[in-house]
Amino acid sequence: MFMDIKNLQFTYPKSTLNTVDNFSFTVEKGEVISILGRSGSGKSTLLRLIAGLEMPAGGAFSLNGKKMFCDKTFLQPEKRGIGMVFQDYALFPHMSVEENILFGLPKMSRKDKKKRAQEVLELVELIGFEKRYPHQLSGGQQQRVALARALAPEPELLLLDEPFSNLDTDLQVKIRGDLRRILKKAKTTAIFVTHNQNDAHALADRIVKIKDGKIEKIGRPCDLLGVSPTEIPGMVEITYEELIGV
Amino acid sequence: MNKHLANVNGWTIGAVLIIILLFLPNVSIVTGVFSPASENWTHIKEFMLLNYIKSSLTLVFFTALFTIAIGLSLAWLIAQYDFPLRNFMKWALILPLSIPPFIGAYTYHGIINYTGVIQKTLRNHFDVTPNPAYFDIMNVPGAIFIYTLFLYPYVYMITRIFLSHQSASLIESARTLGKGPLEIFFRVVIPISRVSIIGGASLVVLEVLNDYGVVKYFGIQTFSTAIFQTWFGLGDLDAAIKLAASLMGIVIFILVIERLLRGGKQFSYSTTKVRPLPLVRLKGRKAVFATLYTLVIFSVAFLIPILQLIDWVILTFGKVPMHDVLFYTKNSVIVAGLGAFLIIVFSLVVGNFSRVVNHKFAKILPKLTVLGYSIPGVVVAVAVITTFIALDRFLAPVYQYFGMDSELVLSVSLFMLISAYVIRFFAIGYNSIESGFDKIGTDFRDASRMLGANSLRTFFKIDVPMMKGAIISGFILVFVDILKEIPLTLILRPFNYDTLATKAFQYASDEKIMEASQASLLIVGVSTIAIFVFHKLLREEPK
Amino acid sequence: MKKSLILLVVALMLVLAACGSTTKKESGADKDAVAKKPEKSEVNLYTSRHYDVDNELYKKFEQETGIKVNVIKDEADVLIERIKREGTATKADLLLTADVGRLYRAKEEGLLQTVSSDILSKQIPEKLRDVDDMWVGLTKRARILVYNKDKVKPEELSTYEALTEDQWKNRVLVRSSESVYNQSLLASFIEINGEEKAKEWAQGIVNNFAQNPEGGDRDQAKAIAAGIGDIAIMNSYYFGQMLNSQEPEEVKVAENLGVFFPNQETTGTHVNISGAGVIKGSKNADNALKLLEFLTGEEAQGEFASANYEFPVNHNVAPSELLKSWGEFKEQDIPLSTLGENNAKAIMIFNEVGWK
Repeated sequence: MFMDIKNLQFTYPKSTLNTVDNFSFTVEKGEVISILGRSGSGKSTLLRLIAGLEMPAGGAFSLNGKKMFCDKTFLQPEKRGIGMVFQDYALFPHMSVEENILFGLPKMSRKDKKKRAQEVLELVELIGFEKRYPHQLSGGQQQRVALARALAPEPELLLLDEPFSNLDTDLQVKIRGDLRRILKKAKTTAIFVTHNQNDAHALADRIVKIKDGKIEKIGRPCDLLGVSPTEIPGMVEITYEELIGV
Repeated sequence: MNKHLANVNGWTIGAVLIIILLFLPNVSIVTGVFSPASENWTHIKEFMLLNYIKSSLTLVFFTALFTIAIGLSLAWLIAQYDFPLRNFMKWALILPLSIPPFIGAYTYHGIINYTGVIQKTLRNHFDVTPNPAYFDIMNVPGAIFIYTLFLYPYVYMITRIFLSHQSASLIESARTLGKGPLEIFFRVVIPISRVSIIGGASLVVLEVLNDYGVVKYFGIQTFSTAIFQTWFGLGDLDAAIKLAASLMGIVIFILVIERLLRGGKQFSYSTTKVRPLPLVRLKGRKAVFATLYTLVIFSVAFLIPILQLIDWVILTFGKVPMHDVLFYTKNSVIVAGLGAFLIIVFSLVVGNFSRVVNHKFAKILPKLTVLGYSIPGVVVAVAVITTFIALDRFLAPVYQYFGMDSELVLSVSLFMLISAYVIRFFAIGYNSIESGFDKIGTDFRDASRMLGANSLRTFFKIDVPMMKGAIISGFILVFVDILKEIPLTLILRPFNYDTLATKAFQYASDEKIMEASQASLLIVGVSTIAIFVFHKLLREEPK
Repeated sequence: MKKSLILLVVALMLVLAACGSTTKKESGADKDAVAKKPEKSEVNLYTSRHYDVDNELYKKFEQETGIKVNVIKDEADVLIERIKREGTATKADLLLTADVGRLYRAKEEGLLQTVSSDILSKQIPEKLRDVDDMWVGLTKRARILVYNKDKVKPEELSTYEALTEDQWKNRVLVRSSESVYNQSLLASFIEINGEEKAKEWAQGIVNNFAQNPEGGDRDQAKAIAAGIGDIAIMNSYYFGQMLNSQEPEEVKVAENLGVFFPNQETTGTHVNISGAGVIKGSKNADNALKLLEFLTGEEAQGEFASANYEFPVNHNVAPSELLKSWGEFKEQDIPLSTLGENNAKAIMIFNEVGWK
């Protein structure tokens, strides 16, 4: 098993309900997983738990045979080899595009670092933007820089938190396609969180629907959601909320 | 301990150590409340306390009111409008902060008293002898006037930074809803900037509460007067400390009120995509009015006192020894610089701790350090001396080991003075750093750690550069405050260590305000340079 | 991170400790060169006097004796508190204050030691020395009356006590009771007339206030010029300073005022001293004594008199021309230490009668 989560538990302080309740789940190498749920369902917390940004109350998690946490250990986020793209990208505003990407690279020669930066910039089609600062980029470009930055250290697992929520609808569709292409090309194992079933449908190999911190369903997109609405001409795009009738 | 704490050990230990160090000397004051009442206590209660508290509260209330009115209106003008002289006024309006209030009081009294320039000119050139009662500022309204002039920049500074960075979309949407400028000011600007207004005003309130120079000179009896009368007059330090402890009580009360006023409405900006507010260019009469208003405030709070000081420097030129001036200036800059540096470093450690450790205790603990800022400096000084002498006794074997012949080492070194500054002014620096941490949130920190950077690297590579503005402004505020600090510097300095402030005080306390003008002007000069540099650095910061 | 922080703190401590001690080392170097008596070459002064003339005298003393004078200046009570807390380890050798009440307090706290020498006894009259030789006077200041020459005839003036009479209603100017000079004045009345009479006097003055007390001594003189009141109680040397001010208007004000030494027919004008005592356990007591002898010597006393308009304690030294022009006067004849003894009582009376 490439990634294995067992009985994950988490509660926010002051909350009586478990935000994440007895969550167990496995992922194969190279898979792209989508965690689908509406806001407040615990999906972002789940992502932060995997990243190591929150401390679980119980359970175990291992990645590629390495223990991330269990009863005795808790590996700091910087030691996990997991990459993450944040919802608002969190590009460091005081660093150029290139500096943002170089920041995460492990110890290697300056030349190798530059080379790696070029590779990922090429992957996200942003060659020539090295010296720009984040505020000089459009939303779509910022998102691709964030992706390049997360991919640069070659993480074993990539986490994406609502990667499209800050983009225009037109852009969303295009970037969705780009993202899948990039992930598959880089052979990255990825988990992304979304509330939009179209995103999930277009990107994921498998979808995990969660509700109240528990898994509701797991399955392939076509099994879970049927044919993607965008693939049928004339169909209206609807969100998950609409689908489940909120 | 919560499992949360497991991953932030270094910060927690550092922060808790710092907080304990800051708080320790104050403990001796706090315990003073519980000391048995002395025979003087009834006298103090009967004849001093009630009236003194009344005048203290009057001073505090009206000073807060006027500093908010002036500070906020200026902040709003500068943040939203463009008018002639705006770019100069933007930083020049902070400058009154560089004038110690007691020097301001002496100077204003010097200007308008019987032999001052106004009455003198009227008498000698126009043959008018006005009723001297019109020129009396040595009373409660006069003190409020002085405090307001020289303390409003706290409110102005904090509120302006907030308004120009945070309010764009709210104000613009109010505008599109067809609201006029006045209505926007009262219904949008005031409510949204409430936190920064209260933040600035509480600094003002604390300054007023612990000030002694102005009220002593004006003959106004306040809570600090009671403390000093009890100590110096009745010779009863224990009772004085008891009073100081009650003052602490009042301050804690104010802090609680501030918390309540803030309520749950502590704004947090999770994204950095805050747009600066675009300036509206004022034209015609409105532009004239805006320029005039800022000019009047600037003149009254800075230009006029400075001109008077310059006049006195010229008048006493050659009569005041000049040779050591460079030495005093250097000393002032060194202690203020070191103190400010340490406070900022400590604030960063404590601030990061408070942000990372998601625990109520980590949020409240740092607030306690404000106590050092709330009581008269000289009472803090006694606490610091006591602590350091105990420390020296404790370290005596070490001194002997190194062959030092003296029993007092730390307590006769600059170390004691600098530590006292840190204890006293930590709250000022921390305020600034804390708001800086609030502003950047935790996303960048998380992102950095996901990229493999550990806590320390994240701190230096991400947090510190992103908080440049908060760090610089905190540093400057503390620097300027230490530069004009009197009571701690007087008693805690090593032998022969004079600073500009002690020099100015030496003359002023002997009613030689003209002779004090030289050192006072240098304090203002050094602070002005610091504030100007701060302004330049902030402007260059990419936003 | 922890380590680097601790290192930083330790490094800073060392640097700061070094800063504090460099002055000592430097002074050690030059004193060796001058005096060649390393163990006897400095004296540490805690002083609440802060006049430029003092600094010049210290420098002169250094040049003459090779003894380096190290100084900390602050309010007397704060200095006393610091010495108290430093205990036997204190570095202070000599305490200088601007009023005798504080010397009394230091003595009561057991901070002073006896000090005497033939030179001191010769230079300072017995009356201006402590009965136990714990402190000596350095200069004298008289608390005098100044009045508006146009509105007050000197014949109308007689005593401090007379100022409580009805003819002075709304005419008397005096600063707040926070001033130690007022406290000593009232303390002297407690000693001479008893507590009850003293309280009556304070009440009487309050009834005759021209305005609520505000400002310093100089401001009282200015208030006369401004027409707020007609007569003021102030210290002699402030008046001397005004007459010699850089500001011509102040000189004008002072010149229009008359000076009166009250109680000449009765108990004498109130006199306070500025004085000094050697700290118990002082490591440089000899040097401290030398400094005291120097400061009460003819040269230094002349400087005090001419630069600061204080009355010299040394009989061989004449007061400055200005002070001389005011003529000889009769001083209060009470032990000076009583001013200190009655200080707290005086404050309470001030509070009770509402003298701000």
